[in-house]
Amino acid sequence: MWALHLIMHPKFGVPNLSRFRAYKNGQPIYSHQGNMPTVTFGEAIRQAYAEEMRRDKNVFLVGEDVGRWGSLYRSSRGLLEEFGTKQVKDAPISEAAIAGCGLGAAMMGMRPIVEIMYIDFITISMDQIVNHAAKWHQLSNGRMKLPIVYKTQGGAGRRNSSQHSQSLENWFVNIPGLITVMPSTPYDVKGLLKSAIRNDNPVMFIEHKALYFEKGEVPEAEYLIPLGQADVKRSGNDLTIIATSWMVTFALKAAEQLAQDNISCEVIDPRTLWPLDKETIIRSVRKTGHCLVVTEAPSEGGWSGEASSVVHEHCFASLKKPVRRHCGMRTGMPYGPTLERQCIPSADSIAEAARGLMKQAPSA
Amino acid sequence: MTELTKFYAEMLLLRQFDQLCLDLKKKDLIYSGYHPYEGQEAVAVGFCAALRRDDALLSTHRPHCHAVAKGCTLESVLTEMMGRVTGCSGGLGGAMQFLDIDHNFYCGSVVGSNLPIATGIGTAFKQQGGDRVCMCVFGDGASNTGSFHEALNLAAIWKLPVVFLCENNQFAEAMPVKEFVACERISMRARSYGLEEITVDGNDVEASRKAANEAIERCRRGEGPVFIEALTYRIRGHYVGDPESTYRNMDEIGGMREKEPLKRAKEKLLQGGVPETELKAMLQEINQKLAALEEWALKQEFPTLQQAIDHVGIALDNAPEVRGPQSLAL
Repeated sequence: MWALHLIMHPKFGVPNLSRFRAYKNGQPIYSHQGNMPTVTFGEAIRQAYAEEMRRDKNVFLVGEDVGRWGSLYRSSRGLLEEFGTKQVKDAPISEAAIAGCGLGAAMMGMRPIVEIMYIDFITISMDQIVNHAAKWHQLSNGRMKLPIVYKTQGGAGRRNSSQHSQSLENWFVNIPGLITVMPSTPYDVKGLLKSAIRNDNPVMFIEHKALYFEKGEVPEAEYLIPLGQADVKRSGNDLTIIATSWMVTFALKAAEQLAQDNISCEVIDPRTLWPLDKETIIRSVRKTGHCLVVTEAPSEGGWSGEASSVVHEHCFASLKKPVRRHCGMRTGMPYGPTLERQCIPSADSIAEAARGLMKQAPSA
Repeated sequence: MTELTKFYAEMLLLRQFDQLCLDLKKKDLIYSGYHPYEGQEAVAVGFCAALRRDDALLSTHRPHCHAVAKGCTLESVLTEMMGRVTGCSGGLGGAMQFLDIDHNFYCGSVVGSNLPIATGIGTAFKQQGGDRVCMCVFGDGASNTGSFHEALNLAAIWKLPVVFLCENNQFAEAMPVKEFVACERISMRARSYGLEEITVDGNDVEASRKAANEAIERCRRGEGPVFIEALTYRIRGHYVGDPESTYRNMDEIGGMREKEPLKRAKEKLLQGGVPETELKAMLQEINQKLAALEEWALKQEFPTLQQAIDHVGIALDNAPEVRGPQSLAL
């Protein structure tokens, strides 16, 4: 049977389609009228780019191989042909210059999307992002708008070893003035990217390299997903699993396994790591009394600790067990398919961590 | 008034303004590191003052005279350095990092960072189709950063309307340029990236203005970026009270004072028949103006904590209640 799960949000003027969900066998089904096209994550990005570039000629994409190649995972293919070099700019391998180019252009009224091919390379851009893009709005007393999307991709899953597989999102969550977004589905990436492009703050938009060829339903009609709003990817009553990016996929699979053990999981995807939708998390944990936080990034000094603290600070009376974190190992990512999978959470390991949490003595 | 008289008046204002700032720093009324500008005034007046208001100027950690030359008011620049709310960044930036949107002036305190930003401003100006120009000032030290090289290449391949102005004052903090740059002239680096380059005596205000006009016009015509190396000399330390004798022979300063831009301009004016009394009256008028400025500045308020944290980012309007107090401003 289909369990229709509708959560209305009267405070939002724009209908939030992601809330209009049905679930079948634990998998979300969009209760949109008519059949929705199924597209890849990369295609959803391409659609968002194209729609925003058509809508506003100030929107432009700049980065390494975004034009001729259509970017590494083909998420901008065909755009150079449609929009030309004014809106699609192939840049040299110069991450500091590219990041600064976005900032300078935004200062003068443009809406740049700066693509940094791998998040590992964003280390070269950090001066521009942290020292300048994140500071100038404040130094202008709120007058200067800086609508920049710093778009990149991180994480393991493509056997690329330790300089092409890092999860560095925690750095950006720690910088006042930045918004940090990590989408997990084709539907979310399109709606969030469009919102990020229209937002007047610098937005760190971090995709996951393992997700580009994942498929999902994306409506043909235009929609936006507000930044700062979490999504309940699966409803449940016993355990709240907060998972980000690629880990959402595994958390949903783990929830299936746990359902066999009569553990009903609610899976929350924050989608925006900061500003954090605390309300959705708090509401869920007050209901379930248990919380597991799953990230691919190592737990130490990370956002997973922030999420855990939010739960402890707001849900202490409801918690039946301490919050547990299940995160990637604190290691440089080893090479090859076998070892890298052993260093990050999987559906099995999440399920095991969840069972451990549920069995744990309350005082532990 | 001849052009040189006008330049002299502008340089004299900057010299006296810099001295006022130095005095305020010594009284601990400017809080951060303060980087004196004495001896480099011909660069500010020759180059920065050659821009239109709608052109952009990116400056450095030694920005106050560049800002005034670009048209920012003395009031907004001085009180910014003093951390008062009337400063152009509301007193939140201080002596090394502030911006003035109305005068298209921006500066920051990380050496070399402004060159990449200049490529973005240049990209926007080019795309928008007008004839606006971005000028980016940096020192000899910045020419050793990666940002310098990335930005020059990007500006050159995209033919951006950017004037890169290397204000070579011979020292990067305590590093003499002759020891820390191996090539003969820094402008040689620009040539290797395909930029037009001009090397100019940065203590000669007339030559500086001529070079500025040439570079700016070239950018306005859409002929791509220009690199200028303006040779000058930092008469004072990197900051007030730095251990200067560790990196330069103190005797050389005396010789450089003979070549500093105000002295040279003054000699030329006197030779040209401008009466000394006129120049003295000019100084007196400036000093009176700055005394009044100081008196006014000391009465200005400091920003409140609330004003300080009000604009960290633009709050998301869709869900303010989900963010909690510590995240109000992103």
